[in-house]
Amino acid sequence: MRKGLIKATRPFERVVHWCLALSCFLLCITGMGTMYHSLNFIGAVIGGMANLRMLHHYGGLFFGVSLVVAIGLFWKEAGRFSAKEDWPWIKEGGGFLWHVENIPEVGKFNPGQKIFFLVVALGGAAMLTSGLLMWFPLSFSKQLVRTMYVVHSLGFLFIFAFVFVHLYLVTIGAPGSSPAMFTGWVTRGWMKKQHPKWLKEMEKNGTLEVYGGNGGNKTSSS
Amino acid sequence: MSQELIKLIDLSRCTACRGCQIACKQWNELPASRTKNTGSYQNPPDLQWNTWTLIRFQEHVDRSGSVKWLFRKDGCMHCTDAGCAKVCPTEALYHTEFGNVSLNVDKCIGCKACMYACPFGVPKFNAATNKIYKCDLCYTRLQGNQPPACVLSCPTGALQIGPKDTMLNKAYKRVKELGGDANVYGDKFVDGTHVVYVLPEKAEVYDNLPKDPKIPLQIIVWKEFLKPAGLMVAGAVVAGAFLHYITHGPKMPEEETTSEGGTTS
Repeated sequence: MRKGLIKATRPFERVVHWCLALSCFLLCITGMGTMYHSLNFIGAVIGGMANLRMLHHYGGLFFGVSLVVAIGLFWKEAGRFSAKEDWPWIKEGGGFLWHVENIPEVGKFNPGQKIFFLVVALGGAAMLTSGLLMWFPLSFSKQLVRTMYVVHSLGFLFIFAFVFVHLYLVTIGAPGSSPAMFTGWVTRGWMKKQHPKWLKEMEKNGTLEVYGGNGGNKTSSS
Repeated sequence: MSQELIKLIDLSRCTACRGCQIACKQWNELPASRTKNTGSYQNPPDLQWNTWTLIRFQEHVDRSGSVKWLFRKDGCMHCTDAGCAKVCPTEALYHTEFGNVSLNVDKCIGCKACMYACPFGVPKFNAATNKIYKCDLCYTRLQGNQPPACVLSCPTGALQIGPKDTMLNKAYKRVKELGGDANVYGDKFVDGTHVVYVLPEKAEVYDNLPKDPKIPLQIIVWKEFLKPAGLMVAGAVVAGAFLHYITHGPKMPEEETTSEGGTTS
Protein backbone atom coordinates (compact mmCIF):
# COMPACT_ATOMS: atom_id res chain seq x y z
CA MET A 1 0.00 0.00 0.00
CA ARG A 2 1.25 3.39 -0.94
CA LYS A 3 1.29 6.45 1.24
CA GLY A 4 -1.58 8.81 0.53
CA LEU A 5 -4.12 6.22 -0.62
CA ILE A 6 -7.66 6.68 0.62
CA LYS A 7 -9.74 4.03 2.33
CA ALA A 8 -12.92 3.49 0.32
CA THR A 9 -14.35 0.24 1.67
CA ARG A 10 -14.41 -1.72 4.91
CA PRO A 11 -13.21 -5.36 5.01
CA PHE A 12 -16.71 -6.66 5.80
CA GLU A 13 -18.15 -4.80 2.82
CA ARG A 14 -15.54 -6.37 0.57
CA VAL A 15 -16.16 -9.87 1.93
CA VAL A 16 -19.93 -9.55 1.39
CA HIS A 17 -19.40 -8.16 -2.10
CA TRP A 18 -17.04 -11.02 -2.97
CA CYS A 19 -19.51 -13.59 -1.63
CA LEU A 20 -22.17 -12.08 -3.86
CA ALA A 21 -19.85 -11.86 -6.85
CA LEU A 22 -18.48 -15.40 -6.60
CA SER A 23 -21.86 -17.01 -5.95
CA CYS A 24 -23.36 -15.03 -8.83
CA PHE A 25 -20.54 -16.23 -11.07
CA LEU A 26 -21.02 -19.83 -9.91
CA LEU A 27 -24.77 -19.58 -10.52
CA CYS A 28 -24.29 -18.16 -14.01
CA ILE A 29 -21.89 -20.97 -14.92
CA THR A 30 -23.92 -23.81 -13.41
CA GLY A 31 -27.21 -22.32 -14.62
CA MET A 32 -25.95 -21.96 -18.17
CA GLY A 33 -24.56 -25.49 -18.02
CA THR A 34 -28.11 -26.62 -17.28
CA MET A 35 -29.90 -24.30 -19.69
CA TYR A 36 -27.81 -24.82 -22.83
CA HIS A 37 -27.22 -28.36 -24.07
CA SER A 38 -23.98 -27.24 -25.70
CA LEU A 39 -22.69 -26.33 -22.22
CA ASN A 40 -23.65 -29.64 -20.59
CA PHE A 41 -19.94 -30.48 -20.52
CA ILE A 42 -19.67 -28.18 -17.48
CA GLY A 43 -21.65 -30.85 -15.64
CA ALA A 44 -19.28 -33.58 -16.78
CA VAL A 45 -16.40 -31.70 -15.17
CA ILE A 46 -17.95 -32.06 -11.71
CA GLY A 47 -19.25 -35.58 -12.13
CA GLY A 48 -22.58 -35.22 -13.87
CA MET A 49 -25.51 -32.96 -14.44
CA ALA A 50 -27.16 -33.97 -11.17
CA ASN A 51 -24.13 -32.57 -9.32
CA LEU A 52 -24.35 -29.40 -11.40
CA ARG A 53 -27.98 -29.02 -10.38
CA MET A 54 -27.13 -29.48 -6.70
CA LEU A 55 -24.26 -27.02 -6.95
CA HIS A 56 -26.70 -24.52 -8.50
CA HIS A 57 -29.21 -25.08 -5.68
CA TYR A 58 -26.78 -24.76 -2.78
CA GLY A 59 -24.90 -21.99 -4.57
CA GLY A 60 -28.28 -20.27 -4.79
CA LEU A 61 -28.77 -20.56 -1.03
CA PHE A 62 -25.31 -19.04 -0.46
CA PHE A 63 -26.19 -16.27 -2.91
CA GLY A 64 -29.46 -15.69 -1.06
CA VAL A 65 -27.71 -15.25 2.29
CA SER A 66 -25.09 -12.97 0.74
CA LEU A 67 -27.83 -10.97 -0.93
CA VAL A 68 -29.74 -10.41 2.31
CA VAL A 69 -26.56 -9.29 4.10
CA ALA A 70 -25.60 -7.03 1.19
CA ILE A 71 -29.02 -5.41 1.06
CA GLY A 72 -28.88 -4.79 4.80
CA LEU A 73 -25.40 -3.35 4.46
CA PHE A 74 -25.93 -1.03 1.51
CA TRP A 75 -29.64 -0.21 1.62
CA LYS A 76 -29.24 3.08 3.47
CA GLU A 77 -26.50 4.42 1.21
CA ALA A 78 -27.39 2.88 -2.15
CA GLY A 79 -31.11 2.19 -1.95
CA ARG A 80 -32.35 5.72 -1.53
CA PHE A 81 -32.55 8.24 -4.31
CA SER A 82 -32.60 11.98 -3.85
CA ALA A 83 -34.05 13.85 -6.82
CA LYS A 84 -32.13 17.01 -5.98
CA GLU A 85 -28.75 15.31 -6.04
CA ASP A 86 -29.33 12.39 -8.41
CA TRP A 87 -31.40 13.94 -11.20
CA PRO A 88 -28.72 16.31 -12.56
CA TRP A 89 -26.26 13.39 -12.68
CA ILE A 90 -28.76 11.16 -14.49
CA LYS A 91 -29.53 13.96 -17.00
CA GLU A 92 -25.84 14.07 -17.90
CA GLY A 93 -25.55 10.27 -18.00
CA GLY A 94 -22.92 10.55 -15.30
CA GLY A 95 -20.48 11.64 -17.97
CA PHE A 96 -20.29 8.05 -19.18
CA LEU A 97 -22.28 8.44 -22.38
CA TRP A 98 -21.26 11.75 -23.94
CA HIS A 99 -18.82 14.50 -23.17
CA VAL A 100 -19.73 16.44 -20.05
CA GLU A 101 -17.53 19.32 -18.93
CA ASN A 102 -18.54 19.32 -15.29
CA ILE A 103 -20.11 16.10 -14.08
CA PRO A 104 -22.69 16.85 -11.36
CA GLU A 105 -21.22 15.78 -8.05
CA VAL A 106 -22.88 13.00 -6.07
CA GLY A 107 -22.14 11.27 -2.78
CA LYS A 108 -20.73 7.83 -1.98
CA PHE A 109 -22.91 6.04 -4.54
CA ASN A 110 -23.77 7.66 -7.83
CA PRO A 111 -27.27 7.10 -9.30
CA GLY A 112 -25.86 4.52 -11.72
CA GLN A 113 -24.56 2.50 -8.81
CA LYS A 114 -27.87 2.94 -7.02
CA ILE A 115 -29.79 1.64 -10.02
CA PHE A 116 -27.33 -1.23 -10.17
CA PHE A 117 -27.91 -1.96 -6.51
CA LEU A 118 -31.68 -1.96 -7.02
CA VAL A 119 -31.42 -4.32 -9.98
CA VAL A 120 -29.24 -6.69 -7.96
CA ALA A 121 -31.53 -6.48 -4.91
CA LEU A 122 -34.84 -6.90 -6.75
CA GLY A 123 -33.50 -9.18 -9.47
CA GLY A 124 -31.67 -11.29 -6.90
CA ALA A 125 -34.82 -11.61 -4.81
CA ALA A 126 -36.79 -12.63 -7.90
CA MET A 127 -34.14 -15.21 -8.81
CA LEU A 128 -34.08 -16.56 -5.26
CA THR A 129 -37.88 -16.86 -5.07
CA SER A 130 -38.36 -18.36 -8.52
CA GLY A 131 -35.37 -20.64 -7.98
CA LEU A 132 -36.77 -22.02 -4.74
CA LEU A 133 -40.12 -22.74 -6.42
CA MET A 134 -38.32 -24.47 -9.28
CA TRP A 135 -36.35 -26.54 -6.76
CA PHE A 136 -39.55 -27.72 -5.00
CA PRO A 137 -42.18 -27.41 -7.74
CA LEU A 138 -44.46 -30.20 -6.55
CA SER A 139 -45.73 -28.05 -3.68
CA PHE A 140 -47.06 -25.37 -6.03
CA SER A 141 -49.62 -25.02 -8.80
CA LYS A 142 -48.59 -25.82 -12.35
CA GLN A 143 -49.29 -22.31 -13.63
CA LEU A 144 -47.20 -20.75 -10.87
CA VAL A 145 -44.22 -23.03 -11.51
CA ARG A 146 -44.43 -22.41 -15.26
CA THR A 147 -44.43 -18.65 -14.61
CA MET A 148 -41.38 -19.06 -12.38
CA TYR A 149 -39.46 -20.57 -15.31
CA VAL A 150 -40.14 -17.32 -17.18
CA VAL A 151 -39.17 -15.15 -14.19
CA HIS A 152 -35.94 -17.10 -13.69
CA SER A 153 -34.85 -16.95 -17.32
CA LEU A 154 -35.84 -13.27 -17.63
CA GLY A 155 -33.87 -12.56 -14.45
CA PHE A 156 -30.90 -14.35 -15.95
CA LEU A 157 -31.16 -12.22 -19.08
CA PHE A 158 -30.90 -9.01 -17.03
CA ILE A 159 -28.32 -10.21 -14.53
CA PHE A 160 -26.02 -11.76 -17.12
CA ALA A 161 -26.12 -8.55 -19.19
CA PHE A 162 -25.51 -6.44 -16.08
CA VAL A 163 -22.54 -8.60 -15.10
CA PHE A 164 -20.72 -7.48 -18.24
CA VAL A 165 -21.61 -3.81 -17.76
CA HIS A 166 -20.35 -4.10 -14.20
CA LEU A 167 -17.14 -5.91 -15.18
CA TYR A 168 -16.44 -3.33 -17.89
CA LEU A 169 -16.95 -0.37 -15.59
CA VAL A 170 -14.79 -1.66 -12.75
CA THR A 171 -11.94 -2.64 -15.04
CA ILE A 172 -11.11 -0.74 -18.22
CA GLY A 173 -14.23 1.46 -18.17
CA ALA A 174 -13.22 3.33 -15.03
CA PRO A 175 -9.58 2.50 -14.27
CA GLY A 176 -8.59 2.63 -10.62
CA SER A 177 -11.91 1.25 -9.37
CA SER A 178 -10.95 -2.35 -8.71
CA PRO A 179 -8.64 -1.70 -5.72
CA ALA A 180 -11.80 -0.71 -3.80
CA MET A 181 -12.82 -4.36 -4.12
CA PHE A 182 -9.40 -5.85 -3.36
CA THR A 183 -7.47 -3.81 -0.83
CA GLY A 184 -10.06 -1.15 -0.15
CA TRP A 185 -7.52 1.63 -0.74
CA VAL A 186 -8.00 3.90 -3.78
CA THR A 187 -6.06 6.87 -5.11
CA ARG A 188 -7.05 10.42 -4.40
CA GLY A 189 -7.16 11.12 -8.13
CA TRP A 190 -9.69 8.34 -8.66
CA MET A 191 -11.72 9.60 -5.73
CA LYS A 192 -11.76 13.14 -7.11
CA LYS A 193 -12.94 11.91 -10.49
CA GLN A 194 -15.51 9.31 -9.40
CA HIS A 195 -16.79 10.50 -6.03
CA PRO A 196 -15.75 14.14 -5.49
CA LYS A 197 -18.60 14.95 -3.16
CA TRP A 198 -17.99 11.88 -1.03
CA LEU A 199 -14.34 12.92 -0.71
CA LYS A 200 -15.37 16.41 0.40
CA GLU A 201 -17.90 14.99 2.84
CA MET A 202 -15.31 12.73 4.42
CA GLU A 203 -12.81 15.56 4.63
CA LYS A 204 -15.42 17.79 6.20
CA ASN A 205 -16.54 15.16 8.69
CA GLY A 206 -12.97 14.12 9.48
CA THR A 207 -13.74 10.51 8.51
CA LEU A 208 -11.22 10.41 5.68
CA GLU A 209 -8.62 7.71 6.25
CA VAL A 210 -5.36 8.26 4.39
CA TYR A 211 -2.77 5.52 4.27
CA GLY A 212 0.38 6.42 6.14
CA GLY A 213 -1.40 8.92 8.34
CA ASN A 214 -3.35 12.04 7.62
CA GLY A 215 -0.33 14.29 7.97
CA GLY A 216 1.59 13.73 4.74
CA ASN A 217 -0.06 14.87 1.56
CA LYS A 218 -3.35 15.57 3.17
CA THR A 219 -5.08 18.58 1.71
CA SER A 220 -7.49 19.42 4.45
CA SER A 221 -5.41 22.39 5.54
CA SER A 222 -6.99 24.71 3.02
CA MET B 1 -36.69 -50.26 -39.87
CA SER B 2 -36.58 -46.60 -39.07
CA GLN B 3 -39.79 -45.02 -40.21
CA GLU B 4 -42.17 -42.86 -38.24
CA LEU B 5 -44.60 -45.08 -36.36
CA ILE B 6 -47.98 -44.41 -34.88
CA LYS B 7 -49.73 -46.39 -32.17
CA LEU B 8 -53.42 -46.30 -32.94
CA ILE B 9 -55.85 -46.62 -30.01
CA ASP B 10 -59.33 -47.39 -31.26
CA LEU B 11 -61.44 -46.81 -28.15
CA SER B 12 -64.52 -48.17 -29.88
CA ARG B 13 -62.87 -51.58 -29.66
CA CYS B 14 -61.56 -51.28 -26.09
CA THR B 15 -63.24 -53.55 -23.53
CA ALA B 16 -61.20 -52.22 -20.61
CA CYS B 17 -59.66 -55.60 -19.90
CA ARG B 18 -56.53 -53.77 -18.75
CA GLY B 19 -54.30 -56.34 -20.38
CA CYS B 20 -52.18 -53.47 -21.73
CA GLN B 21 -51.79 -52.03 -18.25
CA ILE B 22 -50.48 -55.34 -16.94
CA ALA B 23 -48.33 -56.09 -19.98
CA CYS B 24 -46.70 -52.67 -19.60
CA LYS B 25 -45.88 -53.35 -15.96
CA GLN B 26 -44.55 -56.80 -16.79
CA TRP B 27 -42.34 -55.83 -19.72
CA ASN B 28 -40.97 -52.72 -18.04
CA GLU B 29 -40.64 -54.50 -14.65
CA LEU B 30 -42.69 -51.86 -12.87
CA PRO B 31 -43.82 -52.73 -9.34
CA ALA B 32 -47.42 -52.23 -8.25
CA SER B 33 -48.41 -49.66 -5.64
CA ARG B 34 -50.99 -50.36 -2.96
CA THR B 35 -54.17 -48.39 -3.62
CA LYS B 36 -57.61 -48.02 -2.04
CA ASN B 37 -60.92 -48.99 -3.61
CA THR B 38 -62.62 -45.74 -4.51
CA GLY B 39 -65.65 -47.30 -6.14
CA SER B 40 -64.17 -47.34 -9.62
CA TYR B 41 -62.50 -50.00 -11.71
CA GLN B 42 -59.94 -47.34 -12.50
CA ASN B 43 -56.92 -48.42 -10.55
CA PRO B 44 -54.51 -46.82 -9.78
CA PRO B 45 -56.42 -43.52 -9.88
CA ASP B 46 -53.88 -41.81 -12.14
CA LEU B 47 -50.67 -42.43 -14.06
CA GLN B 48 -47.75 -43.00 -11.69
CA TRP B 49 -44.00 -43.25 -11.99
CA ASN B 50 -44.57 -47.00 -12.08
CA THR B 51 -47.81 -46.97 -14.11
CA TRP B 52 -47.10 -45.71 -17.60
CA THR B 53 -50.44 -46.64 -19.05
CA LEU B 54 -53.83 -46.74 -17.41
CA ILE B 55 -57.39 -47.50 -18.45
CA ARG B 56 -59.64 -44.66 -17.33
CA PHE B 57 -63.24 -45.62 -16.52
CA GLN B 58 -65.85 -42.92 -16.90
CA GLU B 59 -69.62 -42.88 -16.67
CA HIS B 60 -70.97 -40.42 -19.21
CA VAL B 61 -74.54 -39.24 -19.68
CA ASP B 62 -75.07 -38.20 -23.29
CA ARG B 63 -77.55 -35.69 -24.70
CA SER B 64 -80.34 -38.25 -24.93
CA GLY B 65 -79.97 -39.02 -21.24
CA SER B 66 -78.54 -42.49 -21.66
CA VAL B 67 -75.50 -43.56 -19.67
CA LYS B 68 -72.38 -44.72 -21.45
CA TRP B 69 -69.38 -46.35 -19.88
CA LEU B 70 -66.33 -44.85 -21.52
CA PHE B 71 -62.91 -46.44 -21.42
CA ARG B 72 -59.73 -44.63 -22.35
CA LYS B 73 -56.19 -45.96 -22.37
CA ASP B 74 -54.17 -43.03 -21.03
CA GLY B 75 -50.43 -42.61 -21.42
CA CYS B 76 -47.73 -40.74 -23.29
CA MET B 77 -48.90 -39.33 -26.62
CA HIS B 78 -45.35 -39.14 -28.05
CA CYS B 79 -45.73 -35.62 -29.49
CA THR B 80 -43.68 -34.43 -32.44
CA ASP B 81 -43.39 -30.98 -30.82
CA ALA B 82 -42.86 -32.49 -27.37
CA GLY B 83 -42.87 -30.07 -24.44
CA CYS B 84 -40.97 -32.55 -22.28
CA ALA B 85 -38.12 -32.94 -24.75
CA LYS B 86 -38.07 -29.18 -25.30
CA VAL B 87 -37.42 -28.40 -21.64
CA CYS B 88 -35.26 -31.36 -20.65
CA PRO B 89 -31.88 -29.81 -19.73
CA THR B 90 -29.89 -33.01 -20.19
CA GLU B 91 -31.58 -34.46 -23.27
CA ALA B 92 -32.69 -37.40 -21.17
CA LEU B 93 -35.99 -37.09 -23.04
CA TYR B 94 -35.40 -37.35 -26.77
CA HIS B 95 -36.98 -38.32 -30.07
CA THR B 96 -35.96 -41.64 -31.57
CA GLU B 97 -35.84 -42.64 -35.21
CA PHE B 98 -39.44 -43.87 -34.87
CA GLY B 99 -40.69 -40.46 -33.77
CA ASN B 100 -41.54 -41.57 -30.23
CA VAL B 101 -40.17 -39.75 -27.18
CA SER B 102 -37.84 -42.04 -25.30
CA LEU B 103 -36.27 -41.55 -21.88
CA ASN B 104 -32.67 -42.15 -20.91
CA VAL B 105 -33.24 -42.48 -17.17
CA ASP B 106 -29.51 -42.32 -16.39
CA LYS B 107 -29.41 -38.78 -17.76
CA CYS B 108 -32.43 -37.54 -15.79
CA ILE B 109 -31.47 -35.17 -12.97
CA GLY B 110 -34.95 -34.89 -11.47
CA CYS B 111 -35.52 -31.22 -12.32
CA LYS B 112 -39.21 -31.99 -13.04
CA ALA B 113 -39.49 -29.33 -15.77
CA CYS B 114 -41.03 -31.91 -18.14
CA MET B 115 -43.92 -32.38 -15.71
CA TYR B 116 -44.84 -28.73 -16.22
CA ALA B 117 -44.25 -28.68 -19.97
CA CYS B 118 -46.31 -31.75 -20.91
CA PRO B 119 -49.85 -30.80 -22.00
CA PHE B 120 -51.07 -34.27 -20.99
CA GLY B 121 -49.51 -34.54 -17.50
CA VAL B 122 -47.62 -37.68 -18.42
CA PRO B 123 -44.15 -37.60 -16.79
CA LYS B 124 -44.31 -38.73 -13.16
CA PHE B 125 -41.68 -38.26 -10.48
CA ASN B 126 -40.27 -40.91 -8.17
CA ALA B 127 -38.83 -39.29 -5.05
CA ALA B 128 -36.93 -42.47 -4.13
CA THR B 129 -34.77 -42.35 -7.26
CA ASN B 130 -35.13 -38.58 -7.85
CA LYS B 131 -36.04 -39.24 -11.47
CA ILE B 132 -39.07 -39.01 -13.72
CA TYR B 133 -40.55 -41.92 -15.63
CA LYS B 134 -42.94 -42.33 -18.54
CA CYS B 135 -43.85 -44.59 -21.44
CA ASP B 136 -41.13 -44.88 -24.11
CA LEU B 137 -43.37 -46.81 -26.51
CA CYS B 138 -41.20 -49.85 -25.69
CA TYR B 139 -38.34 -48.34 -27.67
CA THR B 140 -36.13 -51.41 -27.24
CA ARG B 141 -38.91 -53.62 -28.60
CA LEU B 142 -39.38 -51.31 -31.59
CA GLN B 143 -35.64 -51.59 -32.25
CA GLY B 144 -36.12 -55.36 -32.30
CA ASN B 145 -39.00 -55.00 -34.76
CA GLN B 146 -41.49 -56.03 -32.08
CA PRO B 147 -44.71 -54.24 -31.16
CA PRO B 148 -44.91 -52.46 -27.79
CA ALA B 149 -45.99 -54.75 -24.93
CA CYS B 150 -49.43 -53.08 -24.69
CA VAL B 151 -50.13 -53.60 -28.40
CA LEU B 152 -49.02 -57.23 -28.20
CA SER B 153 -51.34 -57.88 -25.28
CA CYS B 154 -54.48 -56.28 -26.73
CA PRO B 155 -57.04 -59.02 -27.48
CA THR B 156 -59.55 -56.90 -29.42
CA GLY B 157 -57.37 -55.03 -31.87
CA ALA B 158 -58.02 -51.73 -30.13
CA LEU B 159 -54.26 -51.22 -30.11
CA GLN B 160 -52.22 -51.33 -33.31
CA ILE B 161 -48.86 -49.98 -34.39
CA GLY B 162 -47.58 -49.27 -37.86
CA PRO B 163 -46.28 -46.67 -40.31
CA LYS B 164 -47.69 -43.19 -39.77
CA ASP B 165 -49.69 -42.92 -43.00
CA THR B 166 -51.15 -46.43 -42.76
CA MET B 167 -52.33 -45.85 -39.21
CA LEU B 168 -53.84 -42.43 -39.96
CA ASN B 169 -55.70 -43.88 -42.94
CA LYS B 170 -57.03 -46.67 -40.76
CA ALA B 171 -58.07 -44.15 -38.11
CA TYR B 172 -60.03 -42.00 -40.55
CA LYS B 173 -61.61 -45.06 -42.16
CA ARG B 174 -62.73 -46.30 -38.76
CA VAL B 175 -64.17 -42.90 -37.82
CA LYS B 176 -66.18 -42.93 -41.03
CA GLU B 177 -67.51 -46.40 -40.16
CA LEU B 178 -68.46 -45.32 -36.66
CA GLY B 179 -70.12 -42.07 -37.70
CA GLY B 180 -71.76 -39.79 -35.15
CA ASP B 181 -69.35 -37.95 -32.88
CA ALA B 182 -66.45 -40.28 -33.63
CA ASN B 183 -63.24 -38.45 -34.43
CA VAL B 184 -59.50 -38.84 -34.81
CA TYR B 185 -57.49 -37.32 -31.97
CA GLY B 186 -53.78 -36.60 -32.17
CA ASP B 187 -52.81 -35.61 -35.69
CA LYS B 188 -53.90 -31.97 -35.50
CA PHE B 189 -51.87 -30.57 -32.60
CA VAL B 190 -48.30 -30.46 -31.25
CA ASP B 191 -47.24 -31.18 -34.86
CA GLY B 192 -48.94 -34.55 -34.59
CA THR B 193 -48.68 -37.19 -31.90
CA HIS B 194 -47.30 -40.69 -32.37
CA VAL B 195 -50.19 -42.09 -30.37
CA VAL B 196 -53.49 -41.44 -32.10
CA TYR B 197 -56.97 -42.13 -30.77
CA VAL B 198 -60.16 -43.05 -32.51
CA LEU B 199 -62.58 -41.46 -30.05
CA PRO B 200 -66.22 -42.61 -30.28
CA GLU B 201 -67.24 -39.41 -28.44
CA LYS B 202 -66.10 -35.80 -28.75
CA ALA B 203 -62.74 -35.11 -27.11
CA GLU B 204 -64.19 -32.78 -24.48
CA VAL B 205 -66.35 -35.62 -23.16
CA TYR B 206 -63.33 -37.55 -21.86
CA ASP B 207 -61.88 -36.90 -18.41
CA ASN B 208 -58.29 -35.64 -18.32
CA LEU B 209 -58.12 -35.31 -22.10
CA PRO B 210 -57.35 -31.75 -23.24
CA LYS B 211 -59.53 -30.68 -26.16
CA ASP B 212 -56.80 -28.57 -27.74
CA PRO B 213 -53.48 -29.58 -26.17
CA LYS B 214 -50.67 -27.06 -26.46
CA ILE B 215 -47.29 -26.57 -24.93
CA PRO B 216 -47.96 -23.96 -22.19
CA LEU B 217 -47.24 -20.35 -23.22
CA GLN B 218 -44.72 -19.85 -20.40
CA ILE B 219 -42.71 -22.83 -21.65
CA ILE B 220 -42.62 -21.36 -25.18
CA VAL B 221 -41.54 -17.94 -23.85
CA TRP B 222 -38.88 -19.61 -21.73
CA LYS B 223 -37.36 -21.96 -24.26
CA GLU B 224 -38.02 -20.30 -27.61
CA PHE B 225 -37.48 -16.66 -26.65
CA LEU B 226 -35.69 -16.01 -23.34
CA LYS B 227 -33.19 -18.84 -23.68
CA PRO B 228 -31.55 -17.52 -26.87
CA ALA B 229 -32.21 -13.89 -25.85
CA GLY B 230 -30.12 -14.37 -22.69
CA LEU B 231 -27.01 -14.98 -24.76
CA MET B 232 -27.82 -12.39 -27.42
CA VAL B 233 -28.37 -9.58 -24.92
CA ALA B 234 -25.13 -10.42 -23.13
CA GLY B 235 -23.31 -10.45 -26.46
CA ALA B 236 -24.80 -7.07 -27.34
CA VAL B 237 -23.65 -5.69 -23.99
CA VAL B 238 -20.09 -6.90 -24.53
CA ALA B 239 -20.08 -5.37 -28.01
CA GLY B 240 -21.58 -2.17 -26.58
CA ALA B 241 -18.91 -1.97 -23.88
CA PHE B 242 -16.18 -2.34 -26.49
CA LEU B 243 -17.76 0.37 -28.65
CA HIS B 244 -18.04 2.61 -25.62
CA TYR B 245 -14.36 2.10 -24.87
CA ILE B 246 -13.16 2.90 -28.38
CA THR B 247 -15.56 5.80 -29.02
CA HIS B 248 -16.31 7.54 -25.72
CA GLY B 249 -13.36 6.15 -23.80
CA PRO B 250 -12.93 5.26 -20.14
CA LYS B 251 -13.45 7.60 -17.20
CA MET B 252 -9.86 8.12 -16.18
CA PRO B 253 -8.83 9.20 -12.69
CA GLU B 254 -7.52 12.73 -12.37
CA GLU B 255 -3.95 13.35 -13.43
CA GLU B 256 -2.68 13.94 -9.94
CA THR B 257 -2.62 10.20 -9.24
CA THR B 258 1.04 9.80 -8.54
CA SER B 259 3.00 7.32 -6.50
CA GLU B 260 2.85 9.82 -3.70
CA GLY B 261 -0.90 9.78 -3.71
CA GLY B 262 -1.07 13.15 -5.35
CA THR B 263 -1.51 16.68 -4.26
CA THR B 264 -4.17 19.05 -5.27
CA SER B 265 -3.12 21.92 -7.44
